[in-house]
Amino acid sequence: MRNPTSDAKPGDRLAPFTFGPIDRKMLALYAGASGDHNPAHIDIDFAKEAGLEDVFAHGMLSFGVLSQVVTRWCGAGRLRRFGVRFASITKVHDVITCSGEIIERFESAGKTLLKISVVATAQDGRQTLSGDALVAID
Amino acid sequence: MTDAVAVPKNRGLFDRSVLGCATKPVEVEVERGRIRFFAGVLGESEPAYFDVAAAREQGYPDLLAPPSYFMVLEALANEELRRQGHPGVYELLQCDFRFLLHGDETYTYLGQVFAGDRLTFSTTVVDFFEKKGGAMEFATLTSTVAHSERGVLITANRTLLHRFG
Repeated sequence: MRNPTSDAKPGDRLAPFTFGPIDRKMLALYAGASGDHNPAHIDIDFAKEAGLEDVFAHGMLSFGVLSQVVTRWCGAGRLRRFGVRFASITKVHDVITCSGEIIERFESAGKTLLKISVVATAQDGRQTLSGDALVAID
Repeated sequence: MTDAVAVPKNRGLFDRSVLGCATKPVEVEVERGRIRFFAGVLGESEPAYFDVAAAREQGYPDLLAPPSYFMVLEALANEELRRQGHPGVYELLQCDFRFLLHGDETYTYLGQVFAGDRLTFSTTVVDFFEKKGGAMEFATLTSTVAHSERGVLITANRTLLHRFG
């Protein structure tokens, strides 16, 4: 298995990528795949009755996309923790850029870990998710 | 949001009497097809999510589930609870989807989830709090995903919120 983590150090940036534009078909498929059938994401009539302009993307769709900035780099098997705060709603037609930067390399219980900050940003600069990941170096 | 939506006068909608309560632990099954469907929608390209032979080459016993597959496990658990006549987490909290958002989510991965696993899922309500004078109402949840032999595989710490206006 590839191991790019061995000489990784704070300040290193992970390869960014973009996802989207988010469309309604994607939200319908994510609802079916995840089992999250909250109508605010797939039923515009419900969204309008709730006072929203439109349906909006599932937060966990963005979470699942953002986690790939780490797992595409080091493989999913090394991920020990992934946490995000949802900063703003991801809208239909948004194009999301996912980026990550190593911010810490430290020892814990005899293991070397990397802490990586991660951010998802929409095309207009609006931050949608931010958080961090812990990755084990083996 | 517009003024057209009637916002509850007392604003609090979560049933706060369930503080400390947990959903009944239920068993959920991890299926290959669901992993492929879920990973595909997320635009994943990791072969271990799609191809059993590729997963085994990487040392896994079967298809690997992506990190956010937790969502599927929770949905399956909620479906099973409903079948058994028990409340899922959304019913327990009395979530109102007109106002519901995710606040933050942190997942700790103690082990891997593979196709074929039968896992036990449960969620506990650990806190309620408010911000902005009650205009945002939060529920803090912890969940565990456990395997009978491999132990706890995922712990989740999450907040759900109702945002009023």
